Amino acid sequence: MNNPTNNDPIVRVHGVHKFFRRGSERLDVLNGVTLDVTEGEFLGLMGPSGSGKTTLLNLIAGLDKPSQGEVRVGDRLISSMSEGELAGWRTRNIGFIFQFYHLLPVLNAYENVELPLLLLPLSAAQRRQQVTTALELVGLSNRVRHRPGQLSGGEQQRVGIARAIVTDPTLIVADEPTGDLDAHSAKEILDLLCELRQTLGKTILLVTHDPRAAERTNRLMHLDKGLLVEQTDRE
Amino acid sequence: MKYLRLIFRNIGRNPLRSSLTSLVTIVLVFVVTMVWSILWLLNIVTTEKSENFQAMVTERWSAPSHMPLSYAEVLGRGAARNPGDVKPLDSMTWQFYIGTLDPKNPSSKNVIFSIACDPDKIAAVKEGKFATMMDGLESLPDAQEAQVLADVAKLKDTPRGIIVGQNHLKTTNKRIGERFKLTGVSITKGLDLEFEIVGAFPPGRYDTMAVFNREYYNNELDAYPRTHNGQKHPLADRSLNLMVLKVADSAAFTRLASQIENSPELSNPAVRCETMASGLASMLEMFRDLIWAMRWMLAPACLATILLVIANAISISVRERRLELAVLKVLGFRPYQIMVLVLGESLLLGTGAGLISAALSYGVINWWMGGIAFPIGFFDRFMVPADAFWWGPVVGGLAALLGSFMPAWTARNVKVAEVFSKVA
Amino acid sequence: MILELLAVAVALMLLLWGIGKIPLSYNLRNLTVRWKTTLMTALAFTAVIALLTVMMAFVGGMKKMTEGTGRPDNVLVLSDGATDEVISNLPIGDLSEIENLPEVARAEGRPLASREAFMVAIQSAPTPSGGRPKRRILQLRGIEDPRLTAWIHDLELLPGGSWFSEAGVQEAPADGNNGNTPAPMIQAVLGEGVARELGRDRTAEQLAAANNPDRLDVGDTFTLGDRTWIVVGVLDSADSIFNSEIWAKRSLAAAVFGKENYTTLVLRAKDAEAAKRLKTFLAEDYEKAALNPKVELDFYKDLSETSAQFSYAIGFLAIVMSIGGIFGVMNTMFAAVSQREGDIGVLRLLGFNRRQILVSFLLESLLIAMVGGLLGCAIGSLSDGWTASSVVGGHGSGKFIVLQLAVDAEIIATGILLSLSMGLLGGLLPALSAMRLRPLDALR
Repeated sequence: MNNPTNNDPIVRVHGVHKFFRRGSERLDVLNGVTLDVTEGEFLGLMGPSGSGKTTLLNLIAGLDKPSQGEVRVGDRLISSMSEGELAGWRTRNIGFIFQFYHLLPVLNAYENVELPLLLLPLSAAQRRQQVTTALELVGLSNRVRHRPGQLSGGEQQRVGIARAIVTDPTLIVADEPTGDLDAHSAKEILDLLCELRQTLGKTILLVTHDPRAAERTNRLMHLDKGLLVEQTDRE
Repeated sequence: MKYLRLIFRNIGRNPLRSSLTSLVTIVLVFVVTMVWSILWLLNIVTTEKSENFQAMVTERWSAPSHMPLSYAEVLGRGAARNPGDVKPLDSMTWQFYIGTLDPKNPSSKNVIFSIACDPDKIAAVKEGKFATMMDGLESLPDAQEAQVLADVAKLKDTPRGIIVGQNHLKTTNKRIGERFKLTGVSITKGLDLEFEIVGAFPPGRYDTMAVFNREYYNNELDAYPRTHNGQKHPLADRSLNLMVLKVADSAAFTRLASQIENSPELSNPAVRCETMASGLASMLEMFRDLIWAMRWMLAPACLATILLVIANAISISVRERRLELAVLKVLGFRPYQIMVLVLGESLLLGTGAGLISAALSYGVINWWMGGIAFPIGFFDRFMVPADAFWWGPVVGGLAALLGSFMPAWTARNVKVAEVFSKVA
Repeated sequence: MILELLAVAVALMLLLWGIGKIPLSYNLRNLTVRWKTTLMTALAFTAVIALLTVMMAFVGGMKKMTEGTGRPDNVLVLSDGATDEVISNLPIGDLSEIENLPEVARAEGRPLASREAFMVAIQSAPTPSGGRPKRRILQLRGIEDPRLTAWIHDLELLPGGSWFSEAGVQEAPADGNNGNTPAPMIQAVLGEGVARELGRDRTAEQLAAANNPDRLDVGDTFTLGDRTWIVVGVLDSADSIFNSEIWAKRSLAAAVFGKENYTTLVLRAKDAEAAKRLKTFLAEDYEKAALNPKVELDFYKDLSETSAQFSYAIGFLAIVMSIGGIFGVMNTMFAAVSQREGDIGVLRLLGFNRRQILVSFLLESLLIAMVGGLLGCAIGSLSDGWTASSVVGGHGSGKFIVLQLAVDAEIIATGILLSLSMGLLGGLLPALSAMRLRPLDALR
């Protein structure tokens, strides 16, 4: 590790329960999950469908609230923030990477990456600087004016990654980022994520089905029936 | 038809869009119906008839027409001077009386336009048959004919009686048998008359027309100097506004017109004799630009809007359903069948909305609003004719067909491979 | 008032644009990608606004005409009970006494008073071959001294014209065929509008030989009553009710139409105050005849009741037709929202809040409305300057007027304001539904 990391975890999940109601039925998804993520960590979450991995990711990313328990990211207790506060907090602290990229089809690569910056008090020049840097990092400097429809899946995902890092967030969450890609593109994307972690010291939370993706993480956790059941520490 | 269920289901798929589109159609077909109701009546009254030929005599050079009452006798015999001259089969004098219910604040809402005439000319039984000099009354159903005859009989017995239009029952807020007072305005200012409603015209052409005994009117005109320092009313010698004559056919009319227009007895002022239809058409000439704008701007703008809204709604649903249409094609539906499906959907929507609109306009305008207030010439209010029941669906359906043609064509040409490749 | 409202509306739009963090280019691109839908939605706005613009231009022209006629220091005297000139009847003997009242202004030793006989004449218009005989209602004003009358009414002749002579007639060219001397032609001064109206009767041949293809001009003739009339001048009267009148020597016109007496006496008072005093005196204290005097400005204001009625009708149509625009844009925007649920989800995840989603979709529908409305205003504005005829005043004494449609800033502002309101109303529900979407549901 090049970056010195302090020992305080950047994400603290404590005793989190989450259930959904479907009619009169109660569906327990998370049943008391406790988890710490330290800064600079590349943490993988695996598990069968319905094991609650995406739910856990959503809780950490401030998209949803636990039914019980606490979630802290940095020094903020996000499980008790209002929806409005969360929206602003997400912009600054979380970078999202999705399986289906979720780029806005009518905007080009540059504009898609710029989108989250529009919410921050930055000048146009500052924004241009940051967007250009992010696109350079993902290796798409030559395709900035292309729209998603004109890019390959792998390229679209790179745009997605550039968008996730452009705000320099505390945490990057990636939900099956390689799920829709061929093996070659998937490898490139995983290389890129590793590079982000190594050169920029980004903390990354990766949810995946894909064992090849899981291999690249430095800590891997398995979720089953709403409980963390296994940890593999690779470092 | 086997598609019908499929079409219905498609309409029900996005109830919000279907309702919004139908509402637009309903509202705008309503406007088109209003415009066409007006044009419809104007067209009828200005179309020359082949039988029951009516001529109208008015002052030749000056408007409004004011002829001496003494002309009535001359005109009644068609100004015939020589043996062999044509005589009218019948005649009717029209003396206009305009009065308001609210003399302090006369406005179109409380002004009643009425005609003083000889009650026998409104309706009578001649040679066992119902006879009338009033255009439009000749083709009433039997029950209404009997009612008109009964009302006329009562009018003859009641010197101050008046037969009103259906609308006046509302504006005066009186019922048959009750009385009201009118204060003369405009040309009949200074003549205040009291009336007793003895009957009402059947709904239709005469909803805004009232008729009363000419004797009452002429007596009041004669009595006017007694209450006005001996000064005659300005209308005293010029109270005959119009004379309606009935002739057998157009040949007889031509001769009659020349007799009248050249008669030395009718030279000061000179008079004009023309067919009723032509006279009304000339009167409407003053309003030609308004009528033109209604016919060629208002109605088309509404139709264009309906067309655009339907076209948009259908093309949105075709776009949303591309995958589904591709599946239908895979299942073996022919392109034309796909097209029929889309066209059918919009046709059903348009026709249905048009029909609802027609029923609505008929009900709302005729019963609730009491006609379309559009005072031009003799006409004050217009009713929606029963014909609107086919205008509505036809207009709605046609607009829908035209509007959905392009989207239907797009749907027909959906390329299966393309759609699936996009989805995959 | 309308202009202020428009300013407020535009300010609100700019404010929305300012609040909205989602770039406007996002909306613009979506609108162009779905250009067919955008176009159809906008064109529905165009149809509605174009029609309303033309109708408002018509009423605008009518208003301009009725408001442009009449002076505050003129008093118009009619006989008692006459609400309109055409039914007025002033006995001749009384007039000079009234004209010499002290309130009446004088020039060159004469009182500034115009004796007029207003009559409505019926003209049998030459018919296009095959059609049935048409007739036309024309307004004729018989006057004594055209210069004085014109001066009192603030009117001048268009270049090239002259007033009719003292005799009011001129010799007709001899009829070549039989050598009979035809009756002399009556000299007439025409309002510009009626000159256009009468100009429509000319045949193609006459038009080819005409000095002025748009209207009758000096030297042209027309038939009215049993006489031939010759145009000696055309009034520069575009914005006044006199635009639709024919002026001629009273004694000649009266003979043709059987109107013995004057109908109207117009007096120029020394000032507006004197006009009011004069009016009051004639109405209350003058005993020799029962009169109905009015300050001229007020008299013509009554005629604008008709334009008020038209305005109501336009208001009704505006509301009814707006429904087409509102529901049309609603369809489009609801479809846009469902089409772009994914976009909305992403935007929310990235930190855009509900308000910004609402603003973005509202702005999009306002953009459609703006484009459609502007196009409608542009098309409607083509009607500026069109000539149209109408009837003003009611109850059997209406005046037939020829007016020019006038589009002004206020009409354009009304059109834009209306289309923006339609866009707002139509866009609000879909925008609210977009705002309510939960980001996670939207992405599923």
